[in-house]
Amino acid sequence: MNELFPIILDVSSYILILVLVALGLMIVFGMMGVINMAHGELFMIGAYVMVALQDVGLPFWAGILLAPVIVGFLGLLIEAALIRHIYLRPLDTILATWGLSIALKQLVVLTFGPESQSVTLPVDGSLEIGAFSYPLYRLILMASSVLLIGATFWLFTRTDFGLMARAVIARPATAATLGIDTRRMYRWSFVIGTALAGLAGALVAPIISVDPQMGLGYLVPGFLSILVGGAGPLAGVLVGGAVVGGVNNLLAVWISPVAAMITVYVIAILIIRLKPEGIMGGRRAK
Amino acid sequence: MLDIHKLSAGYGEAMVLHDISCRIDPGQVTALMGRNGMGKTTLLKTIMGLIKARSGQIIFNGAPIEKQPTHLISRAGLGYVPQGREIFSDFTVAENLHLSQLGHNTGAVLPLEKIYDWFPILKERSEQRAGTFSGGQQQILAIARALIGKPSMLLLDEPTEGIQPSIVHEIGLQLRRIARETGLGILIVEQNVDMVRTLAEEVFFMENGAIQERCDIAALRQDDSLLHRYLSV
Repeated sequence: MNELFPIILDVSSYILILVLVALGLMIVFGMMGVINMAHGELFMIGAYVMVALQDVGLPFWAGILLAPVIVGFLGLLIEAALIRHIYLRPLDTILATWGLSIALKQLVVLTFGPESQSVTLPVDGSLEIGAFSYPLYRLILMASSVLLIGATFWLFTRTDFGLMARAVIARPATAATLGIDTRRMYRWSFVIGTALAGLAGALVAPIISVDPQMGLGYLVPGFLSILVGGAGPLAGVLVGGAVVGGVNNLLAVWISPVAAMITVYVIAILIIRLKPEGIMGGRRAK
Repeated sequence: MLDIHKLSAGYGEAMVLHDISCRIDPGQVTALMGRNGMGKTTLLKTIMGLIKARSGQIIFNGAPIEKQPTHLISRAGLGYVPQGREIFSDFTVAENLHLSQLGHNTGAVLPLEKIYDWFPILKERSEQRAGTFSGGQQQILAIARALIGKPSMLLLDEPTEGIQPSIVHEIGLQLRRIARETGLGILIVEQNVDMVRTLAEEVFFMENGAIQERCDIAALRQDDSLLHRYLSV
């Protein structure tokens, strides 16, 4: 029991971060048909914001507040300069955002160098219950992720903004004839998606090594989560993230990381073959 | 007032509307009739900015709108009820109506009580999912949704398609009442002659992307040769 518990917690915290990354990806894809290959780099920049702020001596929690703002603002610039010209053209978005991801990576290499950086843990202690001990920051990370995922769901299912966003996803032309500015909805949804990626990057920065290649390690499982879970209802991301993240991490601990990746891909291929819409179903029919 | 001047529009290479011109006065109820494929739906979509005009002008209440985005055309006072109704079937009735409120300035929307007064069924079933509604009820919802933005003109695309005859008549009477009560202008694309006779004051006949003929409803009641010429296959 005492050996199993930390593993379950490790797996859960990975799944939660994966879900945060995949949520941003899916908002952007489900709503605008934009496959954002640079999403992993936005996640990485969130982590580098923490590195930069640590260098200038700002406290950790200031970084947690600033990272989503900075990355969200970057998202706003990317939307205005690039994405708004290629809405609803998935193939073009892949090419354009792939180019963007290379540019962002090189920009980080030029600024911070290619070597990996580290961010100091803001809280050092562990939670100890009897013989069981677990790093406190990881628990804070998990709680924050749960809150963020909950807040995103709340935003898209319970608020006026969410009602308009879901209307634009289902019937963009009809939503516009009711006076809804679809372009503006696209823009702010994209910014929310990028800010989520930045915040996720900032939150995990203290427990991983921050380097220019780190984005890909979350982008690929993020996409797999959407494929496996389905790109329709938001809940698809939760299921997909749990399957992909759970299998990947558990097998990596019990067998080997390579076996874990192979198994994840085999499962993904099987699900896509047997249920092309994903476990929870795809975009709803119009 | 809606004033269309030498408007051309279409899909890709294929032009559907050819130099079409017409004028609809404020508060007037006009029916647009013609066989399938003559450009009636295309005309409504072009007015709403869903299809970009290739040339020509659309003047609505004194301002050109043919280059405006759809949501601004809607806010300028044009309500649109699309063919096939296109209600949001996963949303409740109340959410469908609220969505239209969100699209317009809060000061400029019709109070829900007014909508519920015209269409009591929407109040009774406000928490029901719109997808569970019958065709006629969905049509009523789509009309109510368009009226919330206090349009000065309502564009209706085949509102009777696939709806029980009894409800068709009811919708026609209610629209006439609303038009008289509020001074709402209506441009309705319709194949159903009864609906046109109930509601319209004037009829435009459309063929090959242009308006070929117009007559008032009294003349049509006495002589239906125009109906045969422009509607029979």
